[in-house]
This record gives sequence, structure tokens and C-alpha cells, in this order.
Amino acid sequence: MNDAIDSATIHAREADSTSPDTPPRPNVEQLRERKARTRQHLETGGDIMTISMGPQHPSTHGVFQMVLDLDGEVIVDLRPEIGNLHRGVEKLCEHRTYHQIIPLTDRLDYNSAFAMNHGFCEAAEKLMGVEVPPRARYIRTIAHELSRLANHILWLGVHIMDLGTQTFFVICFRDREYVLDLFEMLTGARLTHSFARIGGVAKDLPDGFEQRCRKVIEFLPKRIAEYERIVKHNRIYYKRAKNVGIFTSEDCYAWRVTGPTLRAAGVARDLRKDEPYAAYDEVDFEVAVEYNADVYDRFLVRMKEMRESCKIIRQCLDGLPGGPYLARDAAHSLPVKRDVLRDSAAMIQDFYQVFQGPQAPKGEVYRAIEVPKGEMGVYIRSEGGAKPARVRFTTPSFYHGQAMPALSIGETVPDLVAIFASVDVVLGDCDK
Amino acid sequence: MSSARFVRPSPPAGSSAKKDRTTARTATSLAPTLATAAAKLRRRFGARLLEEKESFGELTFVIAPGDWMRVLAFCKTAPDLAFDQLDCLMGDHLPERADTPFAVLAHLTSHVHGHRLRVKTFLAEGGPLPTVTGLWPSAGFDERETWEMFGIVFQDHPDLRRLLTAEDFRGFPLRKDFPLEGNVGGRVRTDLRGKI
Repeated sequence: MNDAIDSATIHAREADSTSPDTPPRPNVEQLRERKARTRQHLETGGDIMTISMGPQHPSTHGVFQMVLDLDGEVIVDLRPEIGNLHRGVEKLCEHRTYHQIIPLTDRLDYNSAFAMNHGFCEAAEKLMGVEVPPRARYIRTIAHELSRLANHILWLGVHIMDLGTQTFFVICFRDREYVLDLFEMLTGARLTHSFARIGGVAKDLPDGFEQRCRKVIEFLPKRIAEYERIVKHNRIYYKRAKNVGIFTSEDCYAWRVTGPTLRAAGVARDLRKDEPYAAYDEVDFEVAVEYNADVYDRFLVRMKEMRESCKIIRQCLDGLPGGPYLARDAAHSLPVKRDVLRDSAAMIQDFYQVFQGPQAPKGEVYRAIEVPKGEMGVYIRSEGGAKPARVRFTTPSFYHGQAMPALSIGETVPDLVAIFASVDVVLGDCDK
Repeated sequence: MSSARFVRPSPPAGSSAKKDRTTARTATSLAPTLATAAAKLRRRFGARLLEEKESFGELTFVIAPGDWMRVLAFCKTAPDLAFDQLDCLMGDHLPERADTPFAVLAHLTSHVHGHRLRVKTFLAEGGPLPTVTGLWPSAGFDERETWEMFGIVFQDHPDLRRLLTAEDFRGFPLRKDFPLEGNVGGRVRTDLRGKI
């Protein structure tokens, strides 16, 4: 993997591939034209071979089936088949109280479980009008960004592994362990945390967490620089990723492709900035944007996002306010566990919340937040009482899987592997 | 019983204070661009917008199924509305509404103006609705899911098959009369020969 070439060479090659008067930031028309140039539209009069890629193909990262119509190695048609991991989360939600739904959301996107908890709690709090105390908002921001780091590091390792190397995958997994160790310290679990609560979080930061977290976020930017040294200027990766899978901003809107894929197409859309929640309006960070809309730029966007995540966590640790980490709202949120054993009112509240559940008003809300893979929306309709009447999770991977035909028709099969990994589909998130 | 204290969640004074806070937030959070968009919609469709509701800072328009395509196409193309992304299209089942127990909701987002809108229509069982895949291709999976979960047919949909459940699944699982534990017993029956 030490086949690195210096960045000047790459930039020179990049300049060669386009005409000299092309501005460095292509606009939509130029991208559209570049997309048409890189895709091969063959006459489909020849022999079309239909093969099934998946559901157990290693590059699908789960059970995602793509039925391909191939002309030689060029994809003429692609039909995504999903549902092999369907667990009926939305139906289950209608039979559980709001507190009991939080563990179900863990299993949607298990690589960034806290982000999913957070999305559901934001929607439920909007419905119930619960004010989240400042300390809880900061802890949520820290945990959310940690889950973004864990997700992107895993994505990077798996993406590069799909393109043919094994070692880098192990390097990424080693670094992801540091983040998962932080989660273990914070929540007691490594993958499915169920850490967010309606009105706050389950636990306060444990002793020693801050120092350890600071160590990790000092360490990770160095590792990210190392990843870039290994991958960004790697000749093989550059050739496999540059100008592959071009997806312009118009395509992204039409297919509801969000997150890093949209930002790699030059759109500075980030719900953390546009519709702020938790403590994102109190910290300073930049939205990572790239302009070439290909696999390579999606990699660059995620690298930038990881750096910004470290920045956000550092600011949150610096400005962490005191006070409660769970809202003092007897009607809607669980009491602090320590109080349950000491205070009779808290014990009554605990019994009430566990056996009856939070009493939500009638109404319907839709709340979207920026999870590592894109925009996740949660729709809740309540008819009053402790259980929602309808819950819908608008998960990003569902739409990213759907967009696979538009992303990859005209590309070749080896590029399909790179493209599928680059939009970051997790099948738990996709199949619900 | 002590739990009686908690059956009514908050005392009247507290609840009114909370309600005030909620309405204040609602009043401020409706973006000016969205107010313009709503005025434009009202001017264009008038009495065809059966109901307008503003709650939790979100704007909802209820329309008749016959106007579904026309209103959504206007939402997408009119420059003051410019809803270029269909965030989520979903079904719902409200058994208490006797003649039109099904609902289809479209959550729209505009990248140009940054506002959101919900458009809703009520349908009879299976009541057909035109597909909006021509406006937003991302509606394809959403409509397939809505069909398999609620039995709402989308006319002219390019590929209206079951999406998440097995090919030979019977029934519409997200309807309220469908039991949580399913209706096919403990065995998963799959016979996919010749189906893909």
C-alpha cells in the first residue's frame, strides 16, 4: 500500500484530465457533462447477461441484492432488492411506549447507534415539549460526534477493503476501538448503547472520561493525517475513485441522497447548521464541502468531517456546563436513577414512567437530524397516551440503496463496488 | 393512590406555561419563506386545500386525492415553493375515520429556501393515488412500501411489488387490524422460484 505519489503529481494529473481553462470548482453543468463522459452508454442490442450480486456478496456489507444486467462489464440495468433484514420496527413502535422504542432505534443503524437514539428523542421531545437541560445537550453532542467518528472510520476501512487491500481495514478497526472504548466507558455498551433518553441522556459523564476523550481526539487527527497519507495520494485508490460514480446535486435532490454524498456534490447542506439541535448552534465548526461529486470527493468529505467532529468534541468538553443531565419533567422523562432509591417522588415517577409511560399530547411531528450517513427523519403521530399511533423512520440508507441504479448505470462492475461503498449503506438502516 | 398525582401529567398552571412556550416557539419558527409559499399555495388552489394546520412549527395542508398530483407538481415547480426534495412519503391508518381510514403524507423539503411542508390526503381502503415518481424518483421505494404496508395502490407506478416483506407475504402489516405477531404461524414461507 506504500505506492504513494506526491500531491503535486496528482494535481497535475487532475489538471490534465480537464481543459486548462476549467475553473477548479466545477458547476452542475460541468459535472453533468463529466458524468456523461465517464458513463458508457452501449447499444443494448448485444448479449445481455443478468447476474445477481448479493444478497451475500462481501461488498454489500450485509444482505443487499443487486440484480445486474450486464453488457460485457458495463452495467445496463440494476434492480436493488432489499428487505432481507426487515424487522418491522415501525409496527413494533406502535406497541411500545416512547421509552421502550429507544432500544429499537439502536438496531437501525448499528454503526452509529447513538445518532439513531438521538434522532428519535429529538422528535419525541418536540412532540412532548420537553426542554433538554444544557449539560444533556452537550453530552449528546459529544456522543453524536463520537458515533460519527466511529461510523466514518469503519466506513473508510471497509471502503478501502472493497477496493482490494486488507491491511488498511485492520488499521481502521484498531483506531475505531479507541472510540468504542470511550462509548463503553460512557454507556456500558460498545455498539447498541440506548444512551439517549427523552429529556436528556441516561448517565452523566463518568470520572476520567474527559481526560480519556481528550487523549483520543488529540490522537485521531494524527491518525486521519496518516489515513490521508496512505489513501489520498495512493495511485491505485486515485484511479479507482476519481471521476467514478459522479452524482450531481440535482441527482441527489431527486433521489433524496443526503449527507456526505450531497456535500461532495458542492452543496453545503448540513442539518447541524441549517436546523440546529443539541448544542450544535453553540459550537464552531465548518461544513465539509467538496465539488467533484465522485467517490474520491466523498472520501475527502468524510475525512474533513472527522476532523470537524474532533473539533466539536473538544469545544463541548471545554464548555461543558454543569447542572442536571436529564430534564426534571415528571410527566415525560425518567427520573435520575440515583434519586429513585432515595426519594419517594422520584420512585413514584420511575414506576409511573416504566409502567404507564410518558403522556404525549395529540399531534404529529416530523424532525430530521444529520446522522453520519445523511438526514434521518422521524415522524411521530400521537393520539395521546404513552404509545405512538404511527412512527416512521426516514432512514438515509433506504434512499441511498434505492439510488443505486442512478448512481451506477453505465459504470463497470468493479466501479460498482466502489460506488456502493461510497454512499455508505447499512442494511439495518435500509430494511428497518 | 399516589400514582393519581401523575395521571394528569402537570398542574394547570404548569401546563399553561408550557403551552405558552410551545405556541411562542411555533409562532416564531414558521419561516417567512414558508409563509410566502403557503400564501402562494392558497392563492393558487383556494378552497381545494381542504384544511390547513400549523402545529409544532410545521405546516400541513390536507387535500383531496384527486388534487394530489396537481398540488405536488405545483409545490415542486413554483419558484417560491421550490420543494426539490421529497423527504418522506408514507402511509397511515386511522380506523376511527369510517369512510376514509387511510392517509398518505408527503414531507417536502426545499434546498433553495430551506423550509419544509407536509401535504396529506385521506383515502378509502386501497383508494388509488397517482404516483409521484415522475416528480421525485425517490418516491419509488416509498410508494412500494406504502402499498405493501397499507394496501394503497399507486397508479402508473413503474414497479409496484413488495419491498420489505417476502414475496408471498399475505396482508398489509402496518394496518391497525393486523396482529403484531403476524398471521402466518411460526414458519416463514418463502418460495422465490421464478420470481426474480
